[in-house]
Formats: sequence, C-alpha cells, structure tokens
Amino acid sequence: MNSWKTAVAWVGKGMAYAVMGLFSLMTIYPVIWLIYNSFKTNAEFMVDKISLPKEWILSNYVGAWTLGTFDMLIGNSVIFTLVSAVGIIFISVLAGFGFAKMPNKATAPIYGSFVMGILLSITSLMVPLFIQVSQLDRMISDGFHALGMFTGHDVHVFYNTSFGVILIYVGSGLPMAVYLCTEYIKSIPTSLVEAARIDGATYFSIFWRIILPMSTPIATTIVVLNVPGLWNEFALINIMVSDETLKTLPLGILRFNGQRSVDYGKQFAALVIGMAPMLVFYFLFRKQITAGVSGGAVKG
Amino acid sequence: MARAVRNRAETNWAYWSFITPAFVLYLFVFGFPIILSFVLSVSNYGGGKMFGGDPWSLVGLGEYFKLANDSNFWLALKNNIYIVLISVLGQIPLAFVLAYIIFRKIVRWGEGWQAILYVPAIISVIVLGIMWKMIFASNGLLADIINAMDTQTFLTSLNGLLANGLNVTDDFVTKLLAISDPRALTGFTNPLADIKDLILSNGYTTQNLEVFRSDMVNLLAPKWTPDFLSKQDIAMIPILFVTLWVWTGMYIIMFHANMQKIDTAIIEAARIDGASELQVLSHVIVPNLSGVLANAAILCIAGSLNTFALIWAMTAGGPMNITQVLAIYMFQNAFIGVPNFPLANAISVFIVLFSFILIGLTLLVERRYGGRE
Repeated sequence: MNSWKTAVAWVGKGMAYAVMGLFSLMTIYPVIWLIYNSFKTNAEFMVDKISLPKEWILSNYVGAWTLGTFDMLIGNSVIFTLVSAVGIIFISVLAGFGFAKMPNKATAPIYGSFVMGILLSITSLMVPLFIQVSQLDRMISDGFHALGMFTGHDVHVFYNTSFGVILIYVGSGLPMAVYLCTEYIKSIPTSLVEAARIDGATYFSIFWRIILPMSTPIATTIVVLNVPGLWNEFALINIMVSDETLKTLPLGILRFNGQRSVDYGKQFAALVIGMAPMLVFYFLFRKQITAGVSGGAVKG
Repeated sequence: MARAVRNRAETNWAYWSFITPAFVLYLFVFGFPIILSFVLSVSNYGGGKMFGGDPWSLVGLGEYFKLANDSNFWLALKNNIYIVLISVLGQIPLAFVLAYIIFRKIVRWGEGWQAILYVPAIISVIVLGIMWKMIFASNGLLADIINAMDTQTFLTSLNGLLANGLNVTDDFVTKLLAISDPRALTGFTNPLADIKDLILSNGYTTQNLEVFRSDMVNLLAPKWTPDFLSKQDIAMIPILFVTLWVWTGMYIIMFHANMQKIDTAIIEAARIDGASELQVLSHVIVPNLSGVLANAAILCIAGSLNTFALIWAMTAGGPMNITQVLAIYMFQNAFIGVPNFPLANAISVFIVLFSFILIGLTLLVERRYGGRE
C-alpha cells in the first residue's frame, strides 16, 4: 500500500516536471530561436531555420542599426519612459498624500473615479483622445494667428510633440499609481504629519521631507510596473506622433515587419535590439517586478 | 480658534493643489475623451475644425444601428470574445495549476520556472507579434519543425523497407506508397506502376541508397504547409495561442504570491486527512483565492477587449478582416482611408460599455459563488 502510494507520488512528480519543462521550453525557446537566428546569414537561414548558426556573424546588427536609426529610436524611448515614470511618481505621491491624509468631502468621488479608471484602457479611447488633442492644437493655433503670431504655420502643443506624448503617458499611468500611492500613504502614521504641522511645517515641506522619502518602496513598485509598459507602448505613440525624430523603439521595429522580410538577418537583429533593453531591465529588477505583479497591478 | 480656521483653510488649499495635477491629467486622458467619444458617436462630425469649421450636429443613435448591421463589426466582436475566452478560461486555469505546482513544491526551482514563464510579458508585443508571425508563416519555423519530424518518421519506415537492400518489387512499392504523403501521389494516374517505373528508370542500386533515400524524401515524404490565414475559423488560432503564451506567466506570479498567504496548516491537515493534491486544490486553494481569481478575470477582460498591438503586428486584422478585433476595426475607421469618426467613436463607446458589463458579471459571479476570504 505504502509503496504503491510512493509510486503514484513519483509519477505525479514526474508529470509535474514534464508539464513545467514543456511550458518553460515553449516559453523560452522562441525567444532563444530569435536570438541565435539573428547571427545567421540570410542564405543559411533559408536553408535551415532550426540549427544554431554554423558561423556567428555580426553584420546583421551593423546593417539593422544603420537602417533602423536605432540610436534615435532608443534615445526617444529612454526620454519618454524616464520622464513619464518620474512624472507619474511625483504627481501620484502628491495626490496620494492629499487623498490619504487631508480629509475632504471631494475625496470619495474623485478618488473613486481614479479607482474606476484602473479598469479603463487607454487603447479604447485612442480615437477621441486623438481628436481632442488635434482640436486643442487647432484652437491654440487659431488663437495665436488671431493675435498675429506664428501666422505662417500651425502651432503644435499636444499633437506630434514630446510634451504631448509625455502628458498622455503620465495621465494613462495615473489611475493605478494614484491608487497604489493613496493606499500606501494611508499606512504612514498620521501622527507624523500632525507633529510636523504643530511644528509649523507647511504641507509642501511635509510632502518633500516626510511623505516623498517614505514613499520610496511604492515609488519603486510604480517604476518597475510602468517602465516596461511605457517602453513597449505602441497604440498611442502610433497615432500621436508623425515626425520621424519623435518615434520610439516599437514604431521603429514595426518598420521591419513585412517590407524588408526578405532580409531575414536584419529583421531578426532588429527584433533582438527591440527586446534586449527590457530583457536587461528584467534581469536587473526581477525581484521588484515580481513583487509588483503579485499585487495584480498590471493589465493583461 | 482663528488658528484652527486658518489651519483648515490651509489644509483645504493644500488638498486641492496636491490633487489637481493628477485630476486634471486624469480628465485630460480619460474623462474628456469618454465624454467626447459618446458625443461624437451620436453626431455627424466629419473630421474638420470642431469649432468654427464645417458645421456638425448631433443626429442620434444611427451609428449604433449601423454597427448592428455591420458584418465586420460582428466578426471583430466574435474574434474579441474568443480572445476574452482564451484569456479567462485558458490563461487563468493554466496559470493557476502551474502556480499550484510551484506553491506545493511538487517541483524544485519554483522561482526559476516562474522567472522563465514571465519573460514574454516584459517584451514588446510588436517584437513578439512579428516573431510569431515568422514562426507560423507557411515557410516558418513551425512548418520546418513538423516537416523535420515527419521526414524522420518517413526515413525510419523507409529504412525498415530497405533492411535487405533495394528490391524493386510490387510488394516493395506498395509498402512505399503506404508510408508516403497521399498528396504527393495525386499527380500520378497509376501510382504503383508509375513510381515503380520511376525508381527502375533512375537506376538506383543498393550501392547508392543515400541518393535513393533523399530523392524519396523529396518526392514522397509528408509535407505540411500551415495556412492559418486561409480560413475564418482557424485564422485566430495563432493569435489565441500567442495571447495565452504572452500573459500566462503574469498570472502565475499573481496566483503564487497569493497562495503563499494561505495558512499552510489547513493544507497539511487536509493532506493528513487523506485529501489528494487535486482535492486540496479544488476545496482549499480555489475557495480561498476566489477574490484573487475574480481580480485576475477582471484584468483579463479589460486587457483582452483592448488587444491591439499584438494583432496589429501579426495580421493587422487581415487578410480580408478575418482576424479583425474591435480596437483594430475602430482604428481603421478613424485613421485609414476616409475617416468615419462617428462610427469609430461608437466602437470606442461599445468597448468601454462592454468591458464594464463583463466586469460587472464577473463581480456578480464572485459574490454569488465565491468563497470567504
């Protein structure tokens, strides 16, 4: 009886390993396949897609890098991601302090609307958002023209500007971040704020000296949860900029889809360049990312 | 007293100055666009200057009736519902079982498996979409792997037939035809006689069997060409697979973290009382995590109704709209060809309302059948 039970347990264990192994292999093999094929020549790839390269070549990367203007794309991605992430943290800790520590009748409806907003996806709103942004620019343009300024051309404040992209990125990250910050700041003892008030500190100095430093853990969570999403964002940047000099990595990668598909080597190299920064980011911050995702703070 | 009043005024002032940046941006990105999408969906706005351009007015719910009679819209909705279903009924149960295996330490290196399975979620879906497009292509990796395996099977059978050297008899050719791809034989009027002639006329001998083998592989071995995009019912399979592939790891992490909060004494007690791992899973773990499961389902629904970039990279909704989804249909109506902003905004309103309805249903189910937390 006992040995029979042990046998069943061993079969169960074996099956569990098989299932885990199979799913992990299916998950990671395509990514590895992509990486090693980026080192093959086109001729070799067309004959054999499965084996490792006979000779590892780097020319695909050299070619893809120049063709794809990756230095500019990566530069834009870095700026948009970092500025937006810092903006999200700053603005949501500020709001979280207000919601959590300053009693006000407006908190229930306004904070409630932020929590509802977690369920809204910006993708479903991209059409009205685009119309809003371009109409605002037209009104601003008309205003300037009426005053006799910039009469030669249209003025762009929101559409096709870094400012507009960052504004929208920060806004789209706010519902989740405001929620996380408010709940976190609620756990900071109110007595700390009150003591500082009695000592005559202004709310802004309390924010700067107490709340912001104490919010470092939640700020870290917000950064690691938002950076991959911002870096990989496609739907909005696709419609909000038309200038080549403002495009980001995902837009640049998409140019390698289809039209250059005969040049497999460069296409593979471009895809690897596209995923490498986030793989490094994941490697460095896996613990923090895992902790953040555990809270269910990422939209699928 | 005066001090208390001044303090309250200052608190009030600080409150508004602290929440205003967030609230204004929130309204800018979510609030106004929602209102605008509804207003434009019941209008005849043509895309010009909204104020002081061509006049436009509110004309009623006509665009919604147009959607109701639009076969492309229904196809997009159907495909989108497939994605919701594969997410809610595929990702979540699969992730739950895998998380449970890790949680119960049925396998070692739990954290390592988890780390690997999360990798796709960190990579741009544009990169992943193009990658999977190349894998599922008619001459892609999947076809090559399957054909390599089929060729191997064919060669093994062929070597069995050649165990005693090459003897081109009717019996040999009949057996050869039996292991061949039927589609390879359709070109011959009388396969038995024709193939036999072919083999004899090429002068293969037992000395050059290698040539014979490779010629037979080229001529007769089964060859599979995937053409998922040729038919409506199967076109979504690669997209559904990739959806499952990208996001399951995220839910594993979510479920595993919450399983660790369950009191292990309950599980051990159940095990000692003779409950199997499966019984523990269904009677202890699932009821304890029903809230987390509902949260995961809500995230799944919200995410999968808005799926855009992945499909944009893989098929862009084509060919002939057969992989169309709501967000891409909305995008095409607004930005490709002659814009139809009222229709695009009607789809936008529909996506928002539909996701809230599905999320509401999920919450109802959880409240009705969910366990205590």
